[in-house]
Amino acid sequence: MKYAFYPGCVAKGGTPELYQAMTAVGEKLGLELHELTGAACTGAGVITERDPFAGDVVNSRTFAMAEQLGLPVMTICSTCTGVMMGVKGRVDAHDDYRERVNQLLADEDLHYSGQTDVKHLLWVLVEDLGLDKLKAMVVNPLQGMRLAPFYGCYVVRPSKDVDPLRLGRMGYLEKVIEALGAEPVEEYRGKDKCCGFPLLETNRRGSLALTGKRLAEARDAGADALVTPCPLCHLNLDGQQPETPEAGRVDAMPVMHLPQAIGLAIGITPERLGLHRHIIDTKKILAKVAVAG
Amino acid sequence: MDIKLKVRRQNPEADDKPFWKDYAVEVPEYYTLLDALLKVREEVDETLALRCSCRSHICGSCGMRVNGHAALACKTKLSDIDQGAVTVEPMGNMPVIRDLVVDLEPFWNKLYSIKPYLQPATDPPEREYVVPNDTMFHLDGVVNCIMCGACVSDCESLSVNPIFIGPTALAKEYRFVADPRDAADRERLTQMNGPGGVWDCTHCFQCVEVCPKDVAPMERIMAMRRMMMDMGMEQNNGAKRANAFMDLVGSYGRLDETRLLMRSVSGLGELMSFSKVGLRALWKGKLPPLRPHRIAGAPAVRRILERARNQRPRRFKVHQAQEEGVRA
Amino acid sequence: MIYRHDVLVVGAGLAGMRAAIAAQQHGVDVAIVSKVYPVRSHSNAAQGGINASLGEGDTWESHAYDTVKGSDYLGDQDAIEILAREAPQAVLELEHWGVNFSRDETGHLGTRNFGGASQARTYFVADITGQALLQIMFEQLVHSGLKMYNEWFVTSLVLSENRVVGVLAIDMRSGQLHGITAKSVVIASGGMGRVFEPSTNALICTGDGMAIAYRAGAQLMDMEMMQYHPTTLKGSGALLTEGARGEGAYLLNAAGDRFMKTSAPNKMELASRDVVSRAEQTEINEGRGVDGCVFLDCRHLGRDLIMTKLGQIHELALELAGVDIVKDPVPVRPGFHYPMGGIKTDVFGETSVPGLYAAGEAACVSIHGGNRLGANSLLDTVIYGRRAGEAAAEAAANLAGEDVSDSAVRDEERRIQDLVDRPDRGQFAAKVRWDMGIGMVTNCGVFREQKGLEACGDLLHDLKERYTQVHVGDKGRVFNTNLLSVLELRNMLDLAEAVQVTALTRTESRGAHTRTDYPERDDEHWLRHILLEYRDEGPAVSYRPVTITQWEPQVRTY
Repeated sequence: MKYAFYPGCVAKGGTPELYQAMTAVGEKLGLELHELTGAACTGAGVITERDPFAGDVVNSRTFAMAEQLGLPVMTICSTCTGVMMGVKGRVDAHDDYRERVNQLLADEDLHYSGQTDVKHLLWVLVEDLGLDKLKAMVVNPLQGMRLAPFYGCYVVRPSKDVDPLRLGRMGYLEKVIEALGAEPVEEYRGKDKCCGFPLLETNRRGSLALTGKRLAEARDAGADALVTPCPLCHLNLDGQQPETPEAGRVDAMPVMHLPQAIGLAIGITPERLGLHRHIIDTKKILAKVAVAG
Repeated sequence: MDIKLKVRRQNPEADDKPFWKDYAVEVPEYYTLLDALLKVREEVDETLALRCSCRSHICGSCGMRVNGHAALACKTKLSDIDQGAVTVEPMGNMPVIRDLVVDLEPFWNKLYSIKPYLQPATDPPEREYVVPNDTMFHLDGVVNCIMCGACVSDCESLSVNPIFIGPTALAKEYRFVADPRDAADRERLTQMNGPGGVWDCTHCFQCVEVCPKDVAPMERIMAMRRMMMDMGMEQNNGAKRANAFMDLVGSYGRLDETRLLMRSVSGLGELMSFSKVGLRALWKGKLPPLRPHRIAGAPAVRRILERARNQRPRRFKVHQAQEEGVRA
Repeated sequence: MIYRHDVLVVGAGLAGMRAAIAAQQHGVDVAIVSKVYPVRSHSNAAQGGINASLGEGDTWESHAYDTVKGSDYLGDQDAIEILAREAPQAVLELEHWGVNFSRDETGHLGTRNFGGASQARTYFVADITGQALLQIMFEQLVHSGLKMYNEWFVTSLVLSENRVVGVLAIDMRSGQLHGITAKSVVIASGGMGRVFEPSTNALICTGDGMAIAYRAGAQLMDMEMMQYHPTTLKGSGALLTEGARGEGAYLLNAAGDRFMKTSAPNKMELASRDVVSRAEQTEINEGRGVDGCVFLDCRHLGRDLIMTKLGQIHELALELAGVDIVKDPVPVRPGFHYPMGGIKTDVFGETSVPGLYAAGEAACVSIHGGNRLGANSLLDTVIYGRRAGEAAAEAAANLAGEDVSDSAVRDEERRIQDLVDRPDRGQFAAKVRWDMGIGMVTNCGVFREQKGLEACGDLLHDLKERYTQVHVGDKGRVFNTNLLSVLELRNMLDLAEAVQVTALTRTESRGAHTRTDYPERDDEHWLRHILLEYRDEGPAVSYRPVTITQWEPQVRTY
């Protein structure tokens, strides 16, 4: 399985442990990842907010690069995925519009034909690798752990963009958690809701209130930790957790990146997964895994 | 087919606490959730209170939460959803009056607060306003809003920020700002640039997802942010973030969250409030390098951003066209 | 509690809101009361458009003539002339208020074809015209700042010395009954589709205003004239706009033939609605349909046109019948749609009861006569809504007025409490309504005859008996929709009887009223309206000649 790997800015910036974990997990799962080092930021919705056409061109540039490699794009960020899928929705279907986009790509001798597939690691696990295969690789099942799935908005909405064939992608995270031997917290109401990150600069109080709400819901549902395929959610759920209204009143809630959870189960050391680089201590999780192992 | 409905009920006269009530009914394949609820009300339990009218998704009466998300009962086909047990709850972000009937007064009041009527610059022309058809056609998308409240029900921002004007009222605001005949766009956008306005949207796509009429309120909110910035309303964190974002991506081809944050927030005080978070990250070795990494094709990305900017379409406004006509 | 206003409008659809806005502009204190929030009103269901002779080469006379012919010469020509003359200004007013009417390539208002019209004079917003108009009217209502009593259900009119002095209404939210005093009351509460089953109409269309006016002494007129829309969806009965045929869609029978060539060789699918519905029903009755339906075929219009101009019916057909009209013909049949009849008014909206006005679908001026042309109903609401509002305001300005008395409130409270206290004898309102609806469509449908109409009379008699046993299972006060349905049922039963009695009385075929036992139009005897007055023992029938200004009846072909 070969992919044009698009790590996204945050995995190489604010959450370096994600990139680190993905590299290790990719190797072990047998994913051949060709990193698109020349690809630009998706804009995280902000370029689109400022200038939708610019956003569409910048992302089509990435798709064109993947097309040159003849590979589908694999992402590890819900936000990147959602932005890219939205762009595909506009650019792939309309030849005239794509022509306008391609005129701006011609500078670099790039051309996008409207065919590049984009997949988040989460979708790769279920649709390409297969849950059975993933299960077979588990050497250290996360038994006894109640993990609450936290998707991140953009990997589940709008569903017409991110799940156009209605494959039931909203639901994959629970399946993966189960495959790793842990118990997905099905009743977690916050799983497809907002972490508050996009409000961080414009309404910090609202942002932290949302973060706190999601964490409180996880605690109420009896989760040991959260698992997220989105580093931007991680920035808020983990990084801003001590700032939320709930902080200090109840136990801290560790938040794992998706590749970290996989890594633990398939036998990669916590150090290689960067679990020591979180703001909220992950020892609580590691203790459980050790018991299980 | 056999259907199990799990309905969240509440009767303010008997007992203030909500409770769940289960109903099992047999219905034909083509039934909608509304058909089933009406069957319950007509044949099983006459005390079940809900609003409904048109049965064909045009009146907006039967908004409720179905399996956790807002929907119109009349647009929810039972054969399309999990029939094990369909949970039905009143819409969110609104107080319950009884059972599935919520208090919509705050909803309407927010709508009224935006001056929801056309404000042209001058007395109307003798005949119709002459405007391009695509501007009128474009409005269809928002005029399609039936004010069912589904977007407000599931709005994440509203759930923590009651002063947020909300997706329905903002979509309505867009309807006027985008109307070439309305001349109050600057005034409208100025109002929406403040607290409770467009920058309080958390960009979560919930409203886009649950809207039964594809109004895409969030997309309209984003369009208004863009219009504000194009009008020069750039002294707020949101606009500063957008500009900084464009600049950073133009310079390095990629994002640098720390610099973005520093350039988006206003003043030392606000910056200090983030300092603890930064220090903690630093302690964990998570802060990005002092000099950001630059991607290979950064100059090409900058060129794309600049050239795309020059291709941005201009909004057509009747009063502006008239003014320019006079000048010319 | 007694509230007090100069003018009270009952119903907040297009006609009601237009009346309220017009009344307020006359400088009196106005309020509007509606059992649903204004934007929930059924005006939003009008899909196709609104007629006006605004186009180059078009004239108001042409519009008026088409309307007269469409009415099968039962429409009153003075009222129709007003409608056609004022139409252009009314449409421009809506445009100036913000309706985003479709434009042509020059940026001017664009038109589409519609049934029974000799010219393309229908102005439209995709296939959501009614919704677009309703929203704009609501915006203007909000702008006016007048008092709205939303989700209040009017139970009856209050009279003093034969003059209306106000209404009694239940505030649904609290369940409390209140009096609202008004010097003039305008009934604009819409249609009565729920009397029929199936129907294109919303569940709220229970003819409440018509019925309370009728019981208060107002005359009803043309109640035998009930329109069956030619294209309602199989199964749900949802409306698929005439605009589809206006844009060029075909009607096909089981053999794939465009059967309209037999009954309307010139206008084909764009003949008037009574003609098309009769042709469809004939195909179905004579075995050339499929499962009680014929087909509406939009395929040749192409995806782009369908998605931009007929998007809503695309959605409806897909969601409710599982048919993608881009790819397949959709099964349709005639379905109950609109009463041409209603509360009789003059051209100022005044009814036979002093102080009481009516407009829109609840009223009968009569401009629609035996058959309403598509896209004339929205026009009716804004023109006669405004005229009724103005007249009501003028009258109120010169009156001292009298309050709704506390005893009227107490009496009504007792009447309603008696309903709630009825013992459970196993009669459900929903079942009685269902039996009425089926009976009405069976016997007062596209085709009618004496035996069926008489049987229908017996049925309605039985149903009225059963009604006295119907009980209210919900004893709560707050938002008691069960009580509401029982009150509505009473209204519908009175109106059903009005339809049945007039249909039996008119022994000819005209417009939407087709008697198989009297197949010909009979101008000698029946160029006149049938009027009804409410009596406890049953409706009292009287007649009134049709007003003819310049168009003598002719043989009607399309």
